[in-house]
Amino acid sequence: MKTEMDFEDLMEEAYQLPNGPAKLGFLEEAARVADVNGMVEEAYEARSEIVDVATFCGYPMKALIAFSWQLGKFDQQPEQYDEETLLWSYKWILGKMPDFPEISREKIMELLEDFGARFKSYGYSERSYWYYRFRIFMDFGELEESGRSYDKFRTLDRDFMSDCEACEQDEIMRYFMLKGDDEKVLEAAKPILKGRMSCAEIPHLTLSEILMPLYRLGRTEEADKYQVKGYRLIKGENDFVQSFSEQMEYLTLTNPSKGIDILEETLMLAADHEDAYAKMMYYAKAAPLLRRWAKRKSRKAIACVCQLPSRMRESRVICSSSQITLRNMLRPLQPSLISVTETHMYPR
Amino acid sequence: MTASNEYRFQVNLSGMIQILSNHLYSSPKVFLRELMQNATDAITARKEVEPGYQGEARIELTGTGDQLTMMVEDNGVGLTEADIHEFLAMIGQSSKRGQQALLDGETSFIGRFGIGLLSCFMVSHEIVMLTQSIKGGPSMEWRGKPDGTYTIRQLDTQLSPGTKVYLRCTPDAAHYFEAEYVKEALFYYGALLPYPVTLIHDGVQSVVNQDSPIWLTRPELARSCRADVLAFGERLLGEKFQDFIPLTTASGRTGGIAYVLPHAVNLNAKRSHRVYLKRMLISEKAENILPEWAFFVKCLIWTDELQPTASREHFYENEKLEEVRSELGDALRMGLADMAENQTERLQKLIRLHALSMKALAVQDQAFYAMIHRWLPFETTRGHRELGELIDEGDTLYYTGSIDEYRQIHHVASAQSMLVVNAGYIYDKELMAMLPVILNHVQTERIEPDEVSMTFTDVAPAERNQYYDALRLADSALQRFRCRAEVKGFKPSDLPVLFTLSQESSTLRALEKASEESTDLFSSVLGSLSAGINSAGYSTLYLNVNNPIIKRVLTSPDNQMTPIAIEMLYVNALMMGHYAMNKQELEVLNQGIVRFIDWGLRANTNHEGDA
Repeated sequence: MKTEMDFEDLMEEAYQLPNGPAKLGFLEEAARVADVNGMVEEAYEARSEIVDVATFCGYPMKALIAFSWQLGKFDQQPEQYDEETLLWSYKWILGKMPDFPEISREKIMELLEDFGARFKSYGYSERSYWYYRFRIFMDFGELEESGRSYDKFRTLDRDFMSDCEACEQDEIMRYFMLKGDDEKVLEAAKPILKGRMSCAEIPHLTLSEILMPLYRLGRTEEADKYQVKGYRLIKGENDFVQSFSEQMEYLTLTNPSKGIDILEETLMLAADHEDAYAKMMYYAKAAPLLRRWAKRKSRKAIACVCQLPSRMRESRVICSSSQITLRNMLRPLQPSLISVTETHMYPR
Repeated sequence: MTASNEYRFQVNLSGMIQILSNHLYSSPKVFLRELMQNATDAITARKEVEPGYQGEARIELTGTGDQLTMMVEDNGVGLTEADIHEFLAMIGQSSKRGQQALLDGETSFIGRFGIGLLSCFMVSHEIVMLTQSIKGGPSMEWRGKPDGTYTIRQLDTQLSPGTKVYLRCTPDAAHYFEAEYVKEALFYYGALLPYPVTLIHDGVQSVVNQDSPIWLTRPELARSCRADVLAFGERLLGEKFQDFIPLTTASGRTGGIAYVLPHAVNLNAKRSHRVYLKRMLISEKAENILPEWAFFVKCLIWTDELQPTASREHFYENEKLEEVRSELGDALRMGLADMAENQTERLQKLIRLHALSMKALAVQDQAFYAMIHRWLPFETTRGHRELGELIDEGDTLYYTGSIDEYRQIHHVASAQSMLVVNAGYIYDKELMAMLPVILNHVQTERIEPDEVSMTFTDVAPAERNQYYDALRLADSALQRFRCRAEVKGFKPSDLPVLFTLSQESSTLRALEKASEESTDLFSSVLGSLSAGINSAGYSTLYLNVNNPIIKRVLTSPDNQMTPIAIEMLYVNALMMGHYAMNKQELEVLNQGIVRFIDWGLRANTNHEGDA
């Protein structure tokens, strides 16, 4: 049976899979096998992979758990492990912390300082610290403090531990977005849209972010183009749940029917997601879309398949095009998701 | 010699060659493709003027060692003196506009001709070109050197229309001039060319490419030339195929053959298809021409509607490509649909080999899923089975969402002959969830480990009362592990306990484990997270009343022994389930073993004392 495989087999299986829950399953199993057999270095290796995979496919908590373990081991024997990889992961972890409602502001600030101190201790540029400070204060909604960090980080030199230019530029866009300065958002987006800056996640994120600014400036023709292009890049990837919400927000105003298509295609990805913030944004943008859809005279049925986390099992359901009604779809989007089949008639 | 003038490129030619070899082309071997492309373009241009004209290309190898020379000749339109000046000027312009302009490429015939010709400097220190235009005028000779100097002169004699290019190989490039290599390369690039390509070496002439098979222009005829198509695929792609699906787009400007790979492929395998643009090989590694899910085929594709990048090794990712890709995807899908309807055995064979690819596609496309669902394989408590059989067997299909969950319950489920699908592998969970959508009469339900209890038999109230005290002791012993004890009857009876973990309790275990190992700061962060799931995070230890030992533990009069036995059963269950234990649990294990040894020894001693 598959579960009796040894560490190497499990890792190999994992490496053959694309990022996603199945790959994570193998990696977690590998970490467990390593733990049980006291193979510390292997356990560390498996967790490095977990952090990487979980960060980019919607499991920030799993990433945090694996990283915490790694950091503890690292501190015990720093000479044993590669600090670059670990501290690079720290950036991902730090960036996700504000998305957890359970983690207090105080703790996040402590993490930021810990992060800064570690970067400093290895002689890396302080740019990363200030850049993440800039991001975290944006997450807190404290734009003045964020602005001060923005001015600071841009004067510091980049080094190989800095986030790539494209990612930084995307965060700068977000800053102007939060400030409500659509013109500036688009100006900041220019190098990305022109293709001068790109990476694994950019322009994927960017193309959805600029839709509403373009809409507000009346430039919907451009926005439509970016919408198509942007969705093509993120389709089916659950790392982009928040981008789906931005797509839906724009389409609610311009082309709800297309918005519903996106809802159908992405609902399952969002429901499975571990990041509370991305999920909240998703539901927040799906609700107005569905409300608007409900008002239409002629509308197609909505087809979707979703599975809810076990905590909401009593409402877990499958909906098929023939059975779903709009009312059923709308209700779930408020507290949690509910959908119905004939065989699963849970209390309404 | 009549008029000879020396000119100099207004560019740093050696720098440009640097750019070409390091940035534009993937390997020096492309010079041959560029020469063939020039010949093809010239012949195509001549055909436009003289319909029905029969073009041909001849490649001759002469000399040995550092005298090894290659001549490539075509009978196309040829160039006038003005044409030559134009293409040289074109190169100058491109380079003045910088590297990017060069890489973006010129699209006109002349412009491409010039730049393509420069690739020959990667293998030769001199390029000599003799040409005679069909427009008349004198025959011309052009000699270029990589240092940027070149000469142009009119020849005394009149050549027949067309172009000859002479290359003398550099020492590093000698292997590109060997007859065997050249023959292979010519076939490789030009297998689909619509005119004969002849290689002349040691006085032997051989035509490198066969007559174009009819199904190249009409892929729908491929079916009836099965053996031919398979043989062609083997020669060109180097694998023995057994099956293929013809591809066409609506415009008819792109067509191809999708050969079904005869072996299973990794999901991450490079999707490398061989693509011909206007009959010339453009890429053998085209990854973006078919949809992601099509990793079970290797394709030959010919097209005249896509725009190549400057290196002519890939296509620009634009809307046209997107359209072609989805049309080719549709053709492939239709090929499979046709099999599902008319040749199920063929499809079954294909699915057995490429189940992963089929599942990937089924997840994206419900109609396709409905068509092929019966043959998709799944791992179940009744072994590896096809979905069709599973559907025929039960009303509701239960499945687990992860391998982990499956592992937890599969012993119990199979002992009770309950059918559970392990849907922890990629795509399986989605397919299970979608199944009721495509088949109205089938229900699927995701099952979690803590729900397997529903197939447990409850213990009669009277019997239960009997265990009440022991159960209370068990519960409080397990409290500190955030686990509760329950008494149930289940099969197999030799399984004393069953440990199940909900998603939350699994997360909680992981949180605690990491917390023990981490820094203070991170431990406290993890602490905040575990506070959020605390109440939901209980695991369950089911005590099997059908098991004699458990019966004895539950009815033991020894209040001290019961909790310790329960704890030991708990850690044993953790070990059996391959769970990593935390410090507390390891301690229980160690102390428990010592205690039991102690008890055992004491009981023995007492016994001896009695005797």
